[in-house]
Amino acid sequence: MSDSKSSFTRRNVLRGALFTAAAVPFGLASCATGGGGGDDDETTDGGDESSAPADASNPFGIEEGSNVETVIFNGGYGVDYVEFATAIFNEMWGGEATVEPTTEITAALQPRFVAGDPPDLIDNSGAQSMGFGAILEQIEDLTDVVDAPNLEGTTIRDTLIAPNVLDSGVYDGKLAAINYVLTVYGVWYSKSLFDANGWTAPTTWAEALELGAAAQEQGKFLFAWGKEAATYYQTLAIDSAIKQGGDEVRLALENLEEGCWSKDAVQAVFTAMKEIVDAGYVKPGGSGTFFTDAQAQWSLDQDALLYPSGSWIENEMKDNTADDFQMMGVPSFVVDDSSALPAAALHSEAGEPFIVPSDAANVAGGKEILRIMLSNEAATNFAKTKLAPTVIKDTVPADGFGSTALVSQVDMLGAAGSDTFTHKFVGLYGLNQAQLVVWNAFLDGSKSVEELTSDLQAITDEARNTQEVIPVS
Amino acid sequence: MTTPVTGAGAPRSRSGTRARRKARWSFDNISFFLVFLGLPLALFLLLVIWPFIQAVFYSFTDWGGFSQEFEIIGFANYERLVNDATFKTALGNNIKLAIVVPFAVIVIAMIFATLVTVGGRGIGQTVGVKNSGFYRVVSFFPYVIPAVVAGVIFTKVFDPSNGLLNGLLPAGLRQNWLGQVSTALPASMFVIIWGAVGFYMLLFIAAIKAIPAETFEAARLDGAGRLRTMWSVTIPSIRENIQTAWIYLGIAALDAFVFMHILNNSGGPDNSTLVMPQYLFRLAFAQSQFGYASAVGVAMAVVTLVFAGLVFAINRLTGGSTRSN
Repeated sequence: MSDSKSSFTRRNVLRGALFTAAAVPFGLASCATGGGGGDDDETTDGGDESSAPADASNPFGIEEGSNVETVIFNGGYGVDYVEFATAIFNEMWGGEATVEPTTEITAALQPRFVAGDPPDLIDNSGAQSMGFGAILEQIEDLTDVVDAPNLEGTTIRDTLIAPNVLDSGVYDGKLAAINYVLTVYGVWYSKSLFDANGWTAPTTWAEALELGAAAQEQGKFLFAWGKEAATYYQTLAIDSAIKQGGDEVRLALENLEEGCWSKDAVQAVFTAMKEIVDAGYVKPGGSGTFFTDAQAQWSLDQDALLYPSGSWIENEMKDNTADDFQMMGVPSFVVDDSSALPAAALHSEAGEPFIVPSDAANVAGGKEILRIMLSNEAATNFAKTKLAPTVIKDTVPADGFGSTALVSQVDMLGAAGSDTFTHKFVGLYGLNQAQLVVWNAFLDGSKSVEELTSDLQAITDEARNTQEVIPVS
Repeated sequence: MTTPVTGAGAPRSRSGTRARRKARWSFDNISFFLVFLGLPLALFLLLVIWPFIQAVFYSFTDWGGFSQEFEIIGFANYERLVNDATFKTALGNNIKLAIVVPFAVIVIAMIFATLVTVGGRGIGQTVGVKNSGFYRVVSFFPYVIPAVVAGVIFTKVFDPSNGLLNGLLPAGLRQNWLGQVSTALPASMFVIIWGAVGFYMLLFIAAIKAIPAETFEAARLDGAGRLRTMWSVTIPSIRENIQTAWIYLGIAALDAFVFMHILNNSGGPDNSTLVMPQYLFRLAFAQSQFGYASAVGVAMAVVTLVFAGLVFAINRLTGGSTRSN
């Protein structure tokens, strides 16, 4: 009796204390967004401080001995290529440029953006990267970096692999990011396997269907997929539809237009894919398979002939690729000869977006590191060590440093000429997770073309209604 | 007669009060309060209550998460929440988890706990089955494995092409375990249950050991079998522990983020394994909608509180005591 009484009293006391104390913080205006209220002015000052006279050898007016802080996504390419550039920076300017590797860009930097204290250079890449829509107004326009001379004295703009190669970093007319690494999207296969069977890589969906029949005869499949990477097939479908229907299709999808997934070109591709799924040419079980396991079914077991992916696939599966695989790529298929873009047209996208926050302590330093990276010496070093091309031309020799896939990429880029394109609405509005569900079901055979269309449209519509749409033209 | 008595009593009680007051405000007491009450309370307020209040506040804004700019948009996020089919799917999955997982874990843990404590031979001293010490250790193993590792292991076990499970099964029974709607959620539940049983078994063993052995002996002398003993002696005696276990497991099932995120990163086939925290995570960190994600978080907290309330209510209605220990 007395026990319960005292416990009640104690509890009431605690409860009272809790409420009083909980009410106190209301008076303090501090919360997740309140911390850096007055920082705007300070950081503008910080930017002004480093306004040493600008000239060709110092285009951004960097101060001798100033320090630069970079936060670099530590993914497939590692961070040593940035360390290569910071080493040059330290030698040139006598300051200290640091490289902090991370895989969780958003978790590491979101609080710092809110507090007005972001680092000077960021590689905003990977699954946990920050959405550009959210940070667009807080990062620098990097046009002056492209117009600056590189370390060899040539203007960087003149050394780009194609004039439109940096377009993937343009948001709402602003060059918000410089994408450093060139990624080529296509369908990848084993040249040795194809040669041994007398197959040729398809360029149209009809040819792909025929190849599927040939594969089935040998107990193999045309495609394989993994549950985390089901949307690689969406990329393939979008690429095909853009090649078939041209810019009209691309802009409709990019601008999240109503009915964009119902365009004729998109529907033609979906129908062709459905035919392949229904014919049983896609290895079943992908919706329950970890994606690298699925990729190994293609590259190691060779159960499947083709795999749609970006050019990182060679490096990703390096340890799980059959001997003498001879990986080669073909551009995404067209539907038929009447396509708006030629069959050689290529989805090539510059990836690894480097950004310089406007609130950074040393904006000039961040840009200087980028300038060094875009110079021939650092870009060649990247191509050589990572077996991937950068946006800077003439860095890959004819033997591709011994990689058939790299040679194949350079060939595809050469054949495409100026017929290259990219699209970025999936990443920009964070739609991939929702779309994965739809594509897993479609590739599993449990969704019709109509359901696929309406489900994807619903995701697009929801994004248009709940997020600010950044126009693409 | 009465006056002197009260006169004599009054000063004594006054002096006694003074003495107590003096003791209350000694350095010892103040430092004790500060360290054992003030500090934890301050930390609790700062790290638990304050973020919670913030989350509630942001749920009324359209904050994108990366700037200091946002607008207060009233209940718009909650209106969207009510009409959000994906959220409803996630909520439904959480409810399924909160019903199945605690029930399965408690039943299995209870059976195991009974077996290794009182399920042994029917004569003489009340003991567990032979080698019960060994079983006790073994069944605790899964709990030692971190959830992330368990998740990764089971994605390999459930792999439809090269997985251990399909390898053991005859061809007719092989399934794409995590990849089809009918099996994805049950398979995920199995992993959670597999990981939790060991710990709750240990909890129940401790509770059963606290029941006087005479009670079991008396029941047995009266002719009660093992099932009857479990139902009429063991369960009523450890009712409080079962209730606690149920609430803990329910809260774990309403979260389930780690397991679900590893087993089916994107929410599973047709979102059949998507849980609320995963959806929250996606909204906040992939779509930069921190305001709406906060609203989802608040909804999660409400669901959790309702669940705890339900468990208490059911326990009271079925005749359990509400006395807290």
